[in-house]
Amino acid sequence: MRFIGLRLARGLLTLWFAVTVTFFLVRLLPGDPVLAVADPNMTEELRQKLLADFGLDKPLAAQYLDYLGQLVQGNLGMSFRQSIPVTTVLMERLPWTLILTISAMVVTIALGIPLGVLAATRAKGWLDRVIQLTGVTAQSLFVPSVGILLMYVLGVWLGWFPIGGAVDLDATGLGATLSMLHHLVLPCLSLVFIQLGGYVLTMRTTLIEALGEDYVSLAKAKGVRRGKVVWKHALRNALLPTTTIAGLQLGTLVGGAVLTETIYAYPGIGRAIYEAVGQLDFPVLQGAFVLLAAAVVAANLITDVAYGILDPRVRTS
Amino acid sequence: MTAAAVELTPRRRTWSSFRRNPLGVASGLLLLLLALVAICAPLIAPFPEGYGADTSQPPSSAHWFGTDDIGQDVFAQVVWGTRVSMAVGVSASVLAIVIGLLIGVCAAYFRRLDTPLGVLVDLSLSLPVLPLMILVAALAGPSVRTLAVVIALFSWPEVARVVRSQALAIVPMPFVSAAKVVGGSSLWIVRKHLLPGVVPVVGVSVVLTTSRAVLSEAGLSFLGLGDPNSWSWGTILHKAQQSGALASAWWTTLFPSLAILLLVLSTTLLSVAYNDARNHRSDT
Repeated sequence: MRFIGLRLARGLLTLWFAVTVTFFLVRLLPGDPVLAVADPNMTEELRQKLLADFGLDKPLAAQYLDYLGQLVQGNLGMSFRQSIPVTTVLMERLPWTLILTISAMVVTIALGIPLGVLAATRAKGWLDRVIQLTGVTAQSLFVPSVGILLMYVLGVWLGWFPIGGAVDLDATGLGATLSMLHHLVLPCLSLVFIQLGGYVLTMRTTLIEALGEDYVSLAKAKGVRRGKVVWKHALRNALLPTTTIAGLQLGTLVGGAVLTETIYAYPGIGRAIYEAVGQLDFPVLQGAFVLLAAAVVAANLITDVAYGILDPRVRTS
Repeated sequence: MTAAAVELTPRRRTWSSFRRNPLGVASGLLLLLLALVAICAPLIAPFPEGYGADTSQPPSSAHWFGTDDIGQDVFAQVVWGTRVSMAVGVSASVLAIVIGLLIGVCAAYFRRLDTPLGVLVDLSLSLPVLPLMILVAALAGPSVRTLAVVIALFSWPEVARVVRSQALAIVPMPFVSAAKVVGGSSLWIVRKHLLPGVVPVVGVSVVLTTSRAVLSEAGLSFLGLGDPNSWSWGTILHKAQQSGALASAWWTTLFPSLAILLLVLSTTLLSVAYNDARNHRSDT
């Protein structure tokens, strides 16, 4: 319980830090936020009214407390361009981003574990070399490049998958679900490509280490089958550090999702960010960051707690 | 080990073992070539601007990488893009290294600063960086300098973490205590003893930070936050996305993509080769 409490406190601290940093960055950076909403040649009176509407006429500290207070109630302010609450804009988009990132993560883990095992059990062999080199290359990929390539080959040339959007609007029932999965394939694959390298390389290293442990030698000496030694004894222990990678890669995953959604016109938070950049809609950009930071903090919290349950040693440290 | 090998300085030994790694040498040469392209861009191709007669042409002998939807030569765009992409990458990385080095060394040497700086680094590392960079770059307005500063501002924590862990191993060494005993000032000890000790680790960091900075720059420019008056690899992709060329003109996206891949891959392989050479694994 104490362990969960500590992790929760750290998560909240991270979130507060994210919110505070962005608040002061937005207010202190050069660039008049009102200019972004309004015409430069409007009257001074109108300008003041706009400032008051967005609460920009109060002292900075009061604005900061206001912002925190609103945030606790789930209010991220008003969009400059669309005159609707940022929360409404983003909450519509959040499910799509969650579908995309979670499916990408599941596929990455499902592919990463067997590939890591394959490389580790054949360490120094040619297959290991190939997997390692591919892993390093995959880590050097630029997400939009992968997305565009997949879109071009699988979407345009072969025509197997749709290249934009998230679902056919006129499909209903089962058809809608199928259409959703069909649209998900390319963006999800793009994210899997850039994530996979990290998982496979970590899996490989930790498994090679685990295979050198005494309990593995003991199991082998007792005559346990090799496959069972690898998959049941060593893999279980090698999986734990891999959970940490999942946490560390969350940032990359979120960044990748922003870029991927832009390419495929996938209606998630990332696409909302891209649109907000074009319109200089700062409240949406700020809200999107706060929301994504909260998602990452929550996911990290889950990973930490899961790790603590799986490995009691972590709880004491 | 022979007598001759013992006489070699560590640096010479690293170099001689690095030279025997073909992948590392090839990566180094490729990086030099890209740097040369960046520096000599005006000699290689004219600055791409205005409208051309041949629009959306596939690669040919006249236009090696084809042309875009307004008739500009993609080869020229990629050549000039090398300049901005590498300039932003290198300057952001240098800035990030300097900040990271200072903070990392301070955290290791001044025990009282260690906890707050450590918390700061941990917090920064656990946030999704790209959306934060987007917000700041959008606020500060697009320019090459903004990009470099924004990327550096959010890249130093990783350097600081690496530097701190390396410096922590040096602080308890007898020569540091000795320097304190003879009355050396903190600044002098940090400069004379700590910095030289962490430099080898920073060597790898420079390379990796640069490649990450190039990727960040490409990402921000791709989203439309690049300098509107200059070309970078990300900007070429952004323009292709805006003109709808993503799904029709493969040449407008393939060549800048390859350029990014080559740069990032060669920096990664170079740092792996450097690490291997420094650890002298191949000698034992």
